[in-house]
Amino acid sequence: MSDSDEEISKYITLVSNDGFSFQISREAAMVSGTLRGMLNTSFQESSTNTIKLHELDSLLLEKVIEYLYYNLKYKEFVDVPEFDIPTEMALELLVAADFLDV
Amino acid sequence: MPRRTRRQQNTAEDDGSVRGPSSALTSFLREQGINAESVRLRYEENTRREQEMAEMDEQLRQQQLDTVEEEGIGSTEGVSATVSVGLPDNLGLDSDEEVYEGDEEDGEVVRIRERARAKRRKVDGEDGDLDGSHDVGKNYCIECDKEFVVTVYSKKMEKYGRVGYLCPSCTKIAIRRERLIKRTEIEARKRRKKIAAALLDKQAYSIPSLQDFCVKIISDNINDVDLLGDIGTNNRQKICRILAKKRSLDSKTMQLFLDPSMKELEFWDCSKIDKAALNTIPSYCPKLESLTLNMCGHLHMDNLLYYGDKMTNLRYLNLNGPFLINNDVWQDFFDSKVGKNLTAFHLRNTHRFTSDSLVALLDNVGDRLEELTLSRLDGLDSKLVYDLLPHYLHSMRHLELSYPHKEDLVDDDMIVNLVANNGEHLETLILDGCSYLTDQFLVSGIKPFCPNLTKLSLNQLDQITDNGMTQLFTDWNINGGLMDLNLSRCVSLTDASIYKALEHSSQTLVELNLNSLSGISRKMFLRLSRNIRFPLLTSVDIGFVRSVDDSALAIWSRIAPRLSILEVYGNSRCTDKAIVRADLRIIGREADSI
Repeated sequence: MSDSDEEISKYITLVSNDGFSFQISREAAMVSGTLRGMLNTSFQESSTNTIKLHELDSLLLEKVIEYLYYNLKYKEFVDVPEFDIPTEMALELLVAADFLDV
Repeated sequence: MPRRTRRQQNTAEDDGSVRGPSSALTSFLREQGINAESVRLRYEENTRREQEMAEMDEQLRQQQLDTVEEEGIGSTEGVSATVSVGLPDNLGLDSDEEVYEGDEEDGEVVRIRERARAKRRKVDGEDGDLDGSHDVGKNYCIECDKEFVVTVYSKKMEKYGRVGYLCPSCTKIAIRRERLIKRTEIEARKRRKKIAAALLDKQAYSIPSLQDFCVKIISDNINDVDLLGDIGTNNRQKICRILAKKRSLDSKTMQLFLDPSMKELEFWDCSKIDKAALNTIPSYCPKLESLTLNMCGHLHMDNLLYYGDKMTNLRYLNLNGPFLINNDVWQDFFDSKVGKNLTAFHLRNTHRFTSDSLVALLDNVGDRLEELTLSRLDGLDSKLVYDLLPHYLHSMRHLELSYPHKEDLVDDDMIVNLVANNGEHLETLILDGCSYLTDQFLVSGIKPFCPNLTKLSLNQLDQITDNGMTQLFTDWNINGGLMDLNLSRCVSLTDASIYKALEHSSQTLVELNLNSLSGISRKMFLRLSRNIRFPLLTSVDIGFVRSVDDSALAIWSRIAPRLSILEVYGNSRCTDKAIVRADLRIIGREADSI
């Protein structure tokens, strides 16, 4: 029973490589193809609802999560505000986005 | 009725009298139909109506008491008759039903009053009074029927068939709603625009991915980037393509994409990359195996000779528009050690590649070439040299001979010989614009010799007929089916042969182009619908086939479950009312234009 309870937990914890952890809704996490893959299998991540992302530091991860929610919020709209990305972060973020498939 | 007489009075006043000079306020009031007479009449009307209402309430109460008394004896009919007699005339209540309802409950009185009011309003409108001044004069809100004073801020509107004003609170709501409508309309228009634009790019509109945002920022600031770093081959390629599309790929930015480990390199727009920068490609990417340079007008003879010396791993070379390279240099390049290694050579759009250059190419690598493209090469004008092709080429997988300088350069015999020598390996055959070809190459070339052919493109072959196509595709058992078939502008073809072709390849077809085949009729779609399914078909171009209508679209949508792109440019009978699957994008309908 406890297993299935955990599985339907509405929140996921993402941990950055410098130790920060972010609680985000499962729905937001599902925007990312990579996270979706991790959560939909029998890997450890799906039972503990915690994903350690060794590749990302907290700054990057925060921005990625911002995008996950941005995507969730504006999925149905056309005239959406531009997603703001600091220019200096663009390259690193691209690597992260490539990894997370968002 | 009293109101009718008043109206007559009003009009008489408006029309007949002689007027002296008047102030702005006077003329405004007159324009709005406000005058002392109407104000007085309105006041009288109001008091009278209140009186009537009070009377009616009284009467109803009385009647209710009566009904209670009569309940045992009187029929319902009797009751309603009494009521309708007792009601005041000008309420315009004439239906028995309403009155009957009204006497059921005490609270119903209010509802009767409301209904009566609504009815009165309706009667007003139906009178069809063009003058309208008397309507304006009464200051009851056209919407909520509240009494109010008309000011310059009151909103005038036409509703329920008459012109009137809104009370301040309704005005406020109406204005707010109008703004909201305008805003949503703008939003909707933007949405339609974006969807239409995306449709033309053959895509469905969706929110940009985080990678798209990043790539955009990077390509906007590409001049400040020193090193792309480890962003993944796909992203690197994506940025490179976006820069080419934006025409901002130049000698400086192209350096970002050079990496010692690269094996494949493609620059789709080299028009701003100069000679010196092109020379850096072999030194930065020594392991390069595949090189694509599009619009490479800057590619200098020295560059090609340098490549011929340095790119020892090069196997695949695709050049579009290298018109600085002359015949001698082509020959030297093919004689070099790199030239001798090539297995794939694609060349388009240069007039300086001559017959001698082709002979040099065939001499050096002819027997090993697996891919060859010779497209729009106007320097290649010797029939004899074209006829050499079958003698050299033996292991072709991909062959494209398109848009030759003169149409008789590529004839049936040459293609039959070529196909006979290469047939076993041949997977792709593109003969666009070789309009000298006839049915013969289909029947005695492709049919017996091409078991593995998967892509066949015969654009603009106007001499091939139903006869040849039918013979090719009838019992063509050695070939398991084509994946990509392009018959656009083969104008002599009609239903019979195309049906045969589709029947033969129905299980394997992925892309199909039947553009401008005006011989296709509605019957073919019906026949397809009854007999054939296309499990893999994803993209169809059936533009400028006039017989295609909404029902044909519905048929395609049903018989090809994976179909995602259907182009119907120039088919004016296709409308947005066609009933098709939601995931099928139909491109080119008139109704979809912005």
